[in-house]
Amino acid sequence: MSNPVPAHQVLARRNLGDRIFFLALRAVSIGTIALFIGMLIFIGKLAWTSVEAQGFRFWVGDDWNPPMDIFGAAPFIVGTLASSLIAVLISAPISVGTALFLREIAPRKLANVVAFLVELLAAIPSVVYGLWGVFVLAPIMRDTIQPFLAKWLGPDTYFAAALGHGMTAVAYPFLLVADTLGLTEVTLVSLSANMMAVSQGLFDGPPLGLGLLTSGLVLSIMITPTVTALSREVLLTVPDTVREAALGLGATRWEMIKLALMKTARAGLVGSIILGLGRAIGETMAVTMVIGNRNEIPKSLFEPAQTMASVIANEYNEADGMHLSSLAFVGLSLFAVSLIINFLARTLIRYLNRGSRA
Amino acid sequence: MTEAIQKTVQPIGVATAALETKRLSAWFGDLHVVKDISLTVEKNDVFSLIGPSGCGKSTFIRCLNRLHEETDGARVRGEVLIPGAGKRENIYAQGVDPVSIRRRVGMVFQKPNPFPGLSIFDNVAAGLKLAGVVRRNVLEEIVEISLVQAALWDEVKDKLKKPGTSLSGGQQQRLCIARALAVRPQVLLMDEPTSALDPISTARIEELVMKLRSDVTVLIVTHNMQQAARISNQTAFFLMGELVEVGPTKSIFTKPKDSRTEQYITGRFG
Ligand SMILES: Nc1ncnc2c1ncn2[C@@H]1O[C@H](COP(=O)(O)OP(=O)(O)OP(=O)(O)O)[C@@H](O)[C@H]1O
Ligand SMILES: [Mg+2]
Repeated sequence: MSNPVPAHQVLARRNLGDRIFFLALRAVSIGTIALFIGMLIFIGKLAWTSVEAQGFRFWVGDDWNPPMDIFGAAPFIVGTLASSLIAVLISAPISVGTALFLREIAPRKLANVVAFLVELLAAIPSVVYGLWGVFVLAPIMRDTIQPFLAKWLGPDTYFAAALGHGMTAVAYPFLLVADTLGLTEVTLVSLSANMMAVSQGLFDGPPLGLGLLTSGLVLSIMITPTVTALSREVLLTVPDTVREAALGLGATRWEMIKLALMKTARAGLVGSIILGLGRAIGETMAVTMVIGNRNEIPKSLFEPAQTMASVIANEYNEADGMHLSSLAFVGLSLFAVSLIINFLARTLIRYLNRGSRA
Repeated sequence: MTEAIQKTVQPIGVATAALETKRLSAWFGDLHVVKDISLTVEKNDVFSLIGPSGCGKSTFIRCLNRLHEETDGARVRGEVLIPGAGKRENIYAQGVDPVSIRRRVGMVFQKPNPFPGLSIFDNVAAGLKLAGVVRRNVLEEIVEISLVQAALWDEVKDKLKKPGTSLSGGQQQRLCIARALAVRPQVLLMDEPTSALDPISTARIEELVMKLRSDVTVLIVTHNMQQAARISNQTAFFLMGELVEVGPTKSIFTKPKDSRTEQYITGRFG
């Protein structure tokens, strides 16, 4: 070696750089963890009175009545899960479809332009989506979409009847098992009646514009850019060699998409959809603006509802005592829901990924 | 060769040629990388393509199953004739579906590329399923035959349900060969199939190629001159997108007619 500095000195100097870098990284990561734990402790302490007073009943109680000191969070849990589910059901096929289109069908230049626009959409603040929801989407929902849905999917339609029977058929085996074990008194007739009531009520009620369905729609529009951009990245990581393997075997374009792209990327696609779901679950501003803010479990998709995030945003201002503590408990529960969904997603992804790592 | 001789030779060529290119050219955008190649590959040949890196070998064989056109901005001109339905057919003729061509002209790539989401069995069966074979016992039979042909059966027969990507690199490449063979192609294109493999895997694949020639015509791109000499009976030498020389492997390696061929095989450039 022609290096004038002795090797061990070079090494020592490089080690010093490494050490500083390492210490800085460690400080940052410990700081992050400390901040996280600190926040958890703060919310936990705030929520403690409520946790002690209500325990598990908090999650099943469907009455939220602060003046009477009655706090049941079920309406918000239902509202959060329902609006996020609607959002994902609408957004996932659109996002993955767009990503596939950009990857496989659109000419390269067009794809880049569209991808750029999609990423721009992801940067729009949520209050803007909320305003759009209130002033543009809600009137359309009220005057056009909801009457249309009520006509074709509402009470006394073929859809409602078929859905009710279908849900009964799915639930009946579980009922049979529970019945044999002596766990329940529900009969087939009453099960069927309940399922019918749910399916008949799904698109029932006056078209208000604001409500569960509208918030699900706004959420779906909000998460679509994110899910599209992520899905596109995921699809871009599928090596060309795998695509060519499929094409070389005589696959049509669509067969290649199924055989090579979707199978290879499915775990990543699910991952990007779950990230979208996570965003929908935690979204506050836009939802608070369009969901109608009613603290009851909605029976119809047209009814106003409330999510865990929106009830906190709505009420923290004038809350104190048990009310404030219960809001903190809602916050903790929201955190728990996110964690559970994250965990389930990871399990699903690991399951989908089994074997594709050598 | 004079015109007259060529004319008398032609009928025999028609009867036995597995593949013939006529003035085949290919471009990436404005880059002309395959220039006016005309050559004939006889049935049951093992035909090797040699030449320095970047001379267009991969591009050339990717034209032979219409895979080249899948690249953005790629273009092809000329004819590629393969036997089909009693007469020879130009795969670039109007109205020919590239998908049907790719079922008849199989390909093995430089890097082993099994489908990540699929088991060993499903990898080999993939092409059959695309072709509409659904009967389980038929699939099982052809998968076994193909894996035996690819000299992989003994190693995987107890773990057909394992993912294809769980195999070693050499095994994966033989899996890809089995996958290509399962659809019974007329011609098998191999683009440096052993360049990513160890000597033992390489030897097994060479052995396999020599056995295959009774069933299928093989075109193989290789950088390994010994490999070309060992397994092929015909060799073509490419240089900067042009076909410099083609002939029986033995004469290309022992008494090349073109000085550039001689320089290349004696290692003076490339
Ligand atoms: N996707 C592409 N876009 C543009 N040019 C390309 C592309 N692929 C290859 N080329 C160019 O085409 C020419 C021929 O490439 P090709 O891959 O056919 O060479 P090759 O003979 O197979 O080389 P090697 O022995 O290294 O595999 C090269 O000059 C290369 O730079
Ligand atoms: Mg190459």
